[in-house]
Amino acid sequence: MKATLVAGSLLLGTIALGILGVVAGGSSDVESARRTLVGAQPDWASRAVWACDQRKLVVVEGVRRGEKIPPERAQLVADVLMDLMRFCNEEITVRIGTNQMMTVAANGRVYENYVPGGPLPIVKASFGEPTQREQAIWKAELDKLVAEGDRLFHSDEIGGNGVACAMCHPNASNAHPETYPKFQTQLKKVALLRDMVNWCILNPLEGKELAPDDPRMRALEAYILAQRRGTPLDAGKH
Amino acid sequence: MYRNDMTRKEIERAFAERSAADERLIQSLQNCDRRHFLRTSLKFAGMAAAASLVPSHAFQLVNVANAATPEGGNPGVAFRFAYVSDSHLYARGMTHRFARAAVKAVEDVNALDPQPDFVLFGGDLAQLGRPDELALGQQILKDLKAPVRMMVGEHDWYLDLGEKWKEMFGPDHYSFDHKGIHFVVLNSVVEKDFWTAKGYTPEQRMAIVSGLDDSRQSSFEVGEPQRAWLKQDLAKIDKKTPLIVFSHSPLYKLYRGWNFWTDDAELVQAILKPFQTVTVIHGHTHQLLTNRIGNIQFHGLLSTAWPWPYAPEGLPAYTVQMFRPDPFNQFDGCGDGSVDVLVKGHVDKHYNLWSRNPRIVTARELAGNSLPGGGYQGPSY
Amino acid sequence: MAAFERRRRRGPGDRLSFAALSALAALALAASAQTLVLPVPSGVLPPEVPADNPPTAAKVELGKKLYFDTRISTDGTVACVTCHDPRSGFADPRGKPTSAGVGGALGTRNAPTVLNAAFLASQFWDGREPTLEEQAVQPLVNSIEHGFANQAAVLAKLKTLGEYPPLFQAAFGSPEISTQRVGQAIASFERTLLSLDAPIDRFLAGDAKAISASAQRGWELYNAKARCNTCHGRIDVLPLFTDDLFHNIGVGVKRIDFPTVARRAAAAVEAGKSIDELALGNAEASELGLFLVTREQKDMGAFKTPQLRNVALTAPYMHDGSQATLLAVIEFYDRGGENNPYLDGGMRPLALTDQEKADLVALMETFTSRDLARFAELEKLAPKLAPK
Repeated sequence: MKATLVAGSLLLGTIALGILGVVAGGSSDVESARRTLVGAQPDWASRAVWACDQRKLVVVEGVRRGEKIPPERAQLVADVLMDLMRFCNEEITVRIGTNQMMTVAANGRVYENYVPGGPLPIVKASFGEPTQREQAIWKAELDKLVAEGDRLFHSDEIGGNGVACAMCHPNASNAHPETYPKFQTQLKKVALLRDMVNWCILNPLEGKELAPDDPRMRALEAYILAQRRGTPLDAGKH
Repeated sequence: MYRNDMTRKEIERAFAERSAADERLIQSLQNCDRRHFLRTSLKFAGMAAAASLVPSHAFQLVNVANAATPEGGNPGVAFRFAYVSDSHLYARGMTHRFARAAVKAVEDVNALDPQPDFVLFGGDLAQLGRPDELALGQQILKDLKAPVRMMVGEHDWYLDLGEKWKEMFGPDHYSFDHKGIHFVVLNSVVEKDFWTAKGYTPEQRMAIVSGLDDSRQSSFEVGEPQRAWLKQDLAKIDKKTPLIVFSHSPLYKLYRGWNFWTDDAELVQAILKPFQTVTVIHGHTHQLLTNRIGNIQFHGLLSTAWPWPYAPEGLPAYTVQMFRPDPFNQFDGCGDGSVDVLVKGHVDKHYNLWSRNPRIVTARELAGNSLPGGGYQGPSY
Repeated sequence: MAAFERRRRRGPGDRLSFAALSALAALALAASAQTLVLPVPSGVLPPEVPADNPPTAAKVELGKKLYFDTRISTDGTVACVTCHDPRSGFADPRGKPTSAGVGGALGTRNAPTVLNAAFLASQFWDGREPTLEEQAVQPLVNSIEHGFANQAAVLAKLKTLGEYPPLFQAAFGSPEISTQRVGQAIASFERTLLSLDAPIDRFLAGDAKAISASAQRGWELYNAKARCNTCHGRIDVLPLFTDDLFHNIGVGVKRIDFPTVARRAAAAVEAGKSIDELALGNAEASELGLFLVTREQKDMGAFKTPQLRNVALTAPYMHDGSQATLLAVIEFYDRGGENNPYLDGGMRPLALTDQEKADLVALMETFTSRDLARFAELEKLAPKLAPK
């Protein structure tokens, strides 16, 4: 395979050089990021493999001086380098740990916990896309709010008579939040989703309306909207 | 009553028959003194008020759309039974909306003239399977004048796995014969054990089952023991005898996500298939629902407590959907109704929707309404 | 909720929007045939006008004259104004629960206001007529109202009144007097009786001082705890405080035995008896409401949600006038209406406090138009009222 040949040539080149952490003229935060990565494990040996443009560096941990990088890891090094080459002008450093977990430093930031086989978290740094860690945090926060909304939606604590939202709206069906704003015939005015939620709480659920910024209202809205993602609109159904 | 393939002569004849039938109906309406309308409101209100059951000014009305066709007017109908289903009672007193609705259904049925031969309760009497909820339901249904046949739903069963139900109402599956029809009542909400491994308490188990969209529970099924019982029960029945099967789950596969589903539906249908006319009347779905699979016709029951939207997929082609109910009106999309059992053995299903014009789904329209591909709308997955 | 399907027994054709009508009217010939612009505030949907009856000054004049003319009754005492008097918000000035016609014959229903009636989707408490044209001529032949045996008798009487042929000429282009023209003229006059300027409108437009604090609390309750707005909601483009639908709230249910009355009445209507006579002449059949019109069971005892503009002027309330004051009406709803097997599922007890009830009454008083002085000239045309 082409990648293997390239990897092979890179290996020869880098083993011959045996250079660690050579920074060829980058900004100081890039440099410190690299130092963070490369200098992380002083008692382990690491091998550094440069791409031909001198801007992409892969540091492989657990390979002692004089040892060859084992073939599977070498393949991984090559795959990573080839993938990094997509980002022509960027200076990117990847550390491949002994457990194959990869940490990436690019544009002055560190991206952690990349798992081999998954998509590389390298992004077009000039657009400032979020890191994978950030995305994971955001998703966890969203899931938390949606889960709280799910709980309230199915519970009898929102209303006063034991009726839960989910009784008439299993899986938030027939709620159609994406159709708002619209004239809501029960309210006799144009309503937003939370206006209708409050109307339902007051009327079929015989409960007390929530303030629009009440955390429970926000959670309910989040749950209802999350259920609709990717579902086609079909009035009266889910 | 008019089919696409009728000749002009046939159409004219059908029209003449219909006009004559209308004439007879109008005549019978005008002969008010020949028909007596049961009006026991004062008596009923007195008794019920004494038992603190219903407000004293409630009274029953004749259900005009549901009135039996005049005597001798429709020789095709052998007899009629009524139904009340899915009341989902909380034990929170008689002013709770579900209790009021259940009482409304009882009043409707009691006002039918003539009275139906019996009343089917379609399952889900209680909401959380509690003894006080079941007791309230029993108390409300006691006011029905006609005899009651009970059927169990999942909301009745999963708090104590049917102990209280069986103690109060008898076996969860049984059969009986009535005027030449063989009736079978199934417990079709059997679920494979999902609670023991997770260590759920009875209340937790019941809460999970009571969530329509709660996927921690298993699919409904009839199960091998009951299928064996059914085979054996039907072994002595002549294939020409019409069958009517009462089941809470639909005995076909509509939408698994909401347990509008019976896992062993095909196996149960295979047991029923050899019989010439088979009708399944099921609860659980809280909406107008109609299906036909081969020679088996399926009808859903209305709930008294609340209506459900149609499932995102799997809707049978035979079903004419009801329009989305208005949540301001607690009765919209809800109701009760009756079933005319025809001499030929199939049924005409009456939906007495409380806030809408009634709907009747006839056996003739189901039998004659062939769809491309043989008329079976299977599940979409 | 029961929806009324319009039954047009005779028909002018399609209705056009007023905007389209104006365009057509620009081609009209004589000055008096110039189409009038109805006094509708901007942003409000104009009343529907039948394509064959665009309003003109001449028609309005004729209609006004007919409206106030007590000679168009068998005993010379009853005109439209008798039950729809400008001095009483265009409703009945005599204060009785129901309205009386020729010879003091008492009907079964409380006359609704004509003010703003042009905006409604149907006329009468049971919605049995879809247009003002068709409504206007029905009381003429009701034995309890104007008393004539049939429309021919009405026309015969009109023909004896000499001042009408020229008015018909001016309005319709020929002196011929017909029932259709009578209806069209009166309807044209009624379409000028519009008034949408009340303190509540000003408050909702942003004037925080337009209504009292009590009424403002009432408005909050109206749209929440008191659950008024789903049936009596105020829509910006049609601010009438009605959904124009029909609901059974149980007003007269204690008085009748629904099944017996329903069957007898349904049979009578099928046999050809007029709904109009049954509704007004038969106290029991009158309680059937929309059922008389549709013969659908769900419509048993259902009546039209009335509009609430000027409600403080049109006591007593409900189709039978059984609630004497606004407070009595609030208390009726507070009880959840009157239970009966056809009670609308939207009715339920409200548990209002006394203060909340007072706030709601204060609110409804803000529905009274500020510009009723516009109709002062009409008040002068109204007959002298008998002492109470």
